[in-house]
Amino acid sequence: MQSEELIRRLAACAEPVRRLPHPIWRAATWFMLSLAYAAGLVFAIGLRPDFSAQVTEPRFVIEIAAALLTSMMAAAAAFCSTCPGRPLWERLAPFPFLIAWLATLGEGCWRDWSLLGPQGLSVEPEFGCFWKIVASSAAPAILILVMVRRGAPIAPYLTTCLATLAAASLSAAAMLLFHRQESSVMVLVWQFGSVIALSGVAALFGRRLLYWRTVNLGPVDDERNSHC
Amino acid sequence: MTNSQSDDAKIARERRWQELMRAAQDGDNAAYVWLLSEILPMLRRVVAYKWPRAPDVEDVVQEVLLSVHTVRHTYDPARPFMPWLMTIATRRTIDAARRRTARSANETTVDVMPETFSGDDTKSEQEISDDQDAIRHALAQLPDGQREAVELMKMKGLSLQEASIETGKSVASLKVSVHRAMKSMREAMKREN
Repeated sequence: MQSEELIRRLAACAEPVRRLPHPIWRAATWFMLSLAYAAGLVFAIGLRPDFSAQVTEPRFVIEIAAALLTSMMAAAAAFCSTCPGRPLWERLAPFPFLIAWLATLGEGCWRDWSLLGPQGLSVEPEFGCFWKIVASSAAPAILILVMVRRGAPIAPYLTTCLATLAAASLSAAAMLLFHRQESSVMVLVWQFGSVIALSGVAALFGRRLLYWRTVNLGPVDDERNSHC
Repeated sequence: MTNSQSDDAKIARERRWQELMRAAQDGDNAAYVWLLSEILPMLRRVVAYKWPRAPDVEDVVQEVLLSVHTVRHTYDPARPFMPWLMTIATRRTIDAARRRTARSANETTVDVMPETFSGDDTKSEQEISDDQDAIRHALAQLPDGQREAVELMKMKGLSLQEASIETGKSVASLKVSVHRAMKSMREAMKREN
């Protein structure tokens, strides 16, 4: 088929489209819905026994704030990455908050080391933590993937990675409220580590989850019946 | 044309395309045809520039046009049109090049397709005659029952049932006789060769 003929047939079947809302609005919608879901989850499970003591610790508050901001900015970056022509720096937006979160955990590990020595950095196997993050982030992850699929799959691996990072970070923030960890290194390995691992694994499925849609131009010989 | 005139022309073109795309999103088909027709020559240049050795530039250009069509709802009229279009064109050209590389990794280019049968010459009259003699000789060495079974089923072409009626032997017995006869003849011919 000649390109001029293709243009004619594409235009013949072009219907009015509903423009995609601004990525920030889409990110805000997802974040509010997912935050309500996470709040419901915390309410259903109950706050951790030492919550009242922890909430007075600045490090704990910074940790939760960093996880929530990582989630929010990763969602915004994921939505921006599905809009062609937007600046590339937008895709890096969650990383300062991710680094801040890592730094808070690192500071906690340093403090545990100073107080307890090598005992403070011992890591116990706690795979339950990983599965709790997987289970609690499933619904927000499905929601954000459905939402990003409306955009253009120009960077499928990165978009999937950022979308999963958003869902898993929110889940990790919620876990800090209902799941007690004895030391910072355990949070670093089993919560932060799970978030990074899930985002990395999800990125591998980027091409399968986000792909270019096909166009049905209808039969070639009868232009009057062409449809999209 | 001076630089400032060229810049003015580019700005005017950008504004025109933004307006055309906005109209196309609202369902104006004439504006859509106009827009796609105007960007077509530029897309050909971009694809040829991004993938200089593309086997078929027009195929990739058409992929870009189809992609523009499927994601036209992602264009924000408040933002410039060219970066939006160029991102899609670049992405689809890279995708096409990757697909081509992946496909060609499993292909071998050959000038002449290899034949799927042996190139040996046909047998000479003498060789055919020798083979027939060998078969006759091997057949002659068989016990009477086995030779009769081979003659009826392999040379006269009777079915197992027909051969059973002819000889009065059971079908199972004839099967065994033919199997043993063929094995004996094969060994006899190997020995002669």
